[in-house]
Amino acid sequence: MNVALAIVAGLAVAGAVLAVSARDVRATVLGVLIVLIAGPLVASPWPSPAAILARVAAGLLAARLLTIGLRGEEATAGTRIGWPAEALAAAAAAVVGFGSHGLGAAALGPAEAQAAGFALIALAISPLVTGRDVLRLGIGSLLLVSGALFIRVGLDHPPRDGEQLVISLLTISLGGAVGVIGAAARAAGGLAASSVAIGLPVPRLPDAHRDIRRDIGVEPISPKPPVGPKRPVAPKPPVAPKEPGVAREPPAGPRAPRARRTPRTPKPPSGDAS
Amino acid sequence: MTVLPFLVVAAVAGTGSLILRGSRGWSTTIAIVGLLAMTWVAISLSPDAAIDIGGTILAGSAWLRLYAILASVVALGLIAVDVSAFHEPDAPGVIVIAIGAAVLALASPNAGVAVLAATAGGLAGVLVAAPLGAAGRAAFVGARELRALAITGALAILATGWLARPPGELATQPAVFGLAYLAFGAAVAVRFGAIPFHLWAARVADAAPGVALPLLMAWLPAAFAAVALVWIDQSVAPMTLPLSSERALIAAIGTVSIVLGLVAALVQDDLEHVVGYSIVADAGVAVLGLAVLDPAGWEPARTWLLVFVVGRSAFAAWVLAIHGGFGTRRLPDLAGWARRAPVLAASLVAIAATSIAWPGLAAWQARSTLIDLAMPRPIAVLVMIAPIAAIAIYGRILLVGVGQPNAAVRAGRGERPRWPASLPRRPMAGVGGLERGFERASHALSGTLDVAWLVPTAIRTNRMPLAAVAVLLLSGLAFLVAGGGLGVREAARAVPQAAGSDTGPSGPGSTSGPGSTPGPGPSEEPSAAASPSPQASFAPVP
Repeated sequence: MNVALAIVAGLAVAGAVLAVSARDVRATVLGVLIVLIAGPLVASPWPSPAAILARVAAGLLAARLLTIGLRGEEATAGTRIGWPAEALAAAAAAVVGFGSHGLGAAALGPAEAQAAGFALIALAISPLVTGRDVLRLGIGSLLLVSGALFIRVGLDHPPRDGEQLVISLLTISLGGAVGVIGAAARAAGGLAASSVAIGLPVPRLPDAHRDIRRDIGVEPISPKPPVGPKRPVAPKPPVAPKEPGVAREPPAGPRAPRARRTPRTPKPPSGDAS
Repeated sequence: MTVLPFLVVAAVAGTGSLILRGSRGWSTTIAIVGLLAMTWVAISLSPDAAIDIGGTILAGSAWLRLYAILASVVALGLIAVDVSAFHEPDAPGVIVIAIGAAVLALASPNAGVAVLAATAGGLAGVLVAAPLGAAGRAAFVGARELRALAITGALAILATGWLARPPGELATQPAVFGLAYLAFGAAVAVRFGAIPFHLWAARVADAAPGVALPLLMAWLPAAFAAVALVWIDQSVAPMTLPLSSERALIAAIGTVSIVLGLVAALVQDDLEHVVGYSIVADAGVAVLGLAVLDPAGWEPARTWLLVFVVGRSAFAAWVLAIHGGFGTRRLPDLAGWARRAPVLAASLVAIAATSIAWPGLAAWQARSTLIDLAMPRPIAVLVMIAPIAAIAIYGRILLVGVGQPNAAVRAGRGERPRWPASLPRRPMAGVGGLERGFERASHALSGTLDVAWLVPTAIRTNRMPLAAVAVLLLSGLAFLVAGGGLGVREAARAVPQAAGSDTGPSGPGSTSGPGSTPGPGPSEEPSAAASPSPQASFAPVP
């Protein structure tokens, strides 16, 4: 076992745990960035410096695209089971990956890469299956592909420079896609607004944590389904006055301050009460 | 010429078009110029040329060349129709980039690299499926699409990585090959939106602009399927394992897609959904191609991929033109469309002929061969005649079209060419011959200027007839390809070039067809002990 590789692989898994657990969007992006930067380093032998630079630059660009797409968004749904449970699940998967290195035959890559790949895929399953938040779905997708790449490194020859370039393109595409979806969702009312738009139930309240949304200045999740995306409302037809009198004129120009209401006169008792 | 200039032009034009997305006119112009250049470069591609970039070979092939030419030309036609109808933002740039990614995937003999490029190209489609400023539903659809792409990409990466090593001990474990084969087959089925994995594709068909639909549901998945075909022929077929359960499962997915896709297309009222489900039905045949582990399936599978993508693109362009011309794509609201758009009616007949085909056409031969090879005879006969039911789909659309035009169709643009304004008359005032000569020249010049000034307005006024002509050309191209024109069969018969210095069994390359020796596909002898390396089936790059 190569200790340095194990440390880098551990960092990648820690970044993935942070990405799927954190509620703060910035922490989520930081976790993704750690995974993407650690990616080229979990290999034996290491790629050429140019390839490492290309992968690191691609990771930075992907994280930047994510940040652009999520600018202004502060909270995401986060994990429902808490980061310790996520970390334990990742650790268990990593042990399985390490123990089954080669998947049936002698492998050409390091066992640490396969362990990290298994851990990342295990972490990606929950957001992919249960995620109603488009950012969590995106993070799950990113981790799934990253995990598959780790496993590939663990099984096969180390990728050559040309392949590293294509992996860099894939990384940028993934970051850009998640950023675009996040931006579209935010423009439509929030990262979780999409489920409301198509009639799905709103996210369940987290079991493992108190709701910190109020602490960070975000409206807490309401058990009632929020109102869907705002649409232009047609003006209501004027209501006929109940009592004879002058109909109200629609206000012209800027709205005047509302006058104090006069106390309503009690209704006369209806005659048909029985 | 190698494939590199094509990739460079695609990258520059696509990126430039997306950078200038704020100015829709410039963005589209750059994409169109890029596509014209890509067409020219694709025509100049040499099927034998290969280039080494950082240890990764990019090799040309006849099929790749034809794919690149057809993709560029069809994209030009689609964008032309879109400009006349809706002029969707982002779509031209995304189309250019995605075609570049697909060609990169097809050019890589290493299946591991190819699936990465094909997945990256698919991700570009998210930009048009979830555009900024769209409704919340679009973001959700984009997220679902991203999830499907990630799952398919991960499955393909794992499958190719698993079998990328020299078989060695793996050769004694058939289950490994079966699992990897099933994983890649399932990935292709999900990418195509084959039934039962069609939910995400149906939502994409609903949310994505019509111009991008062929790209998202046909061209990019077809490139992915072509990569899968090469990988199967290199890494799985040479093992001569029975894999009957896995093959049956993949064949079942393909069969269900063919039959239920046609049924779904028949009952839809929204023409874009009809296109989507007809793509799913035709994709079922492509999925069947993966279930054939026989060298005889190589040529028809790759022929069908080209026939299918061009034919469905023509149908999508037809729907786009109808929607742009009459403002609706709901069939019940389009009564009498054929009376006001006879050129589009002729195009629909050509599209229907391409889709249904008949014995003797390359499309029919490819489809029936694949069905025959993938399934037992009695079921194969039933599935073979199922696509004939598409007559009902196109007949229904035509039947609605020949009725009395309703209000929406009457208010639509129609195909009759019009000139936006009458040209001024200039009476002759000159008396002498010389004077009249000068005056005539002056009038001719003024008349030319009058016409020139009105050309932009005339183009805008005649958007519908221009779109109809573009659709007619696309449907003609589809018919040509379905008939085996443009050397489709020869291109499909050829196999990609060698991986050269690329390592592992992922390296394909051959100069002979699958039917000959050597070639992709199962060898005659069980190769568990005797060099099962897929490299044996292809000759190295010269």
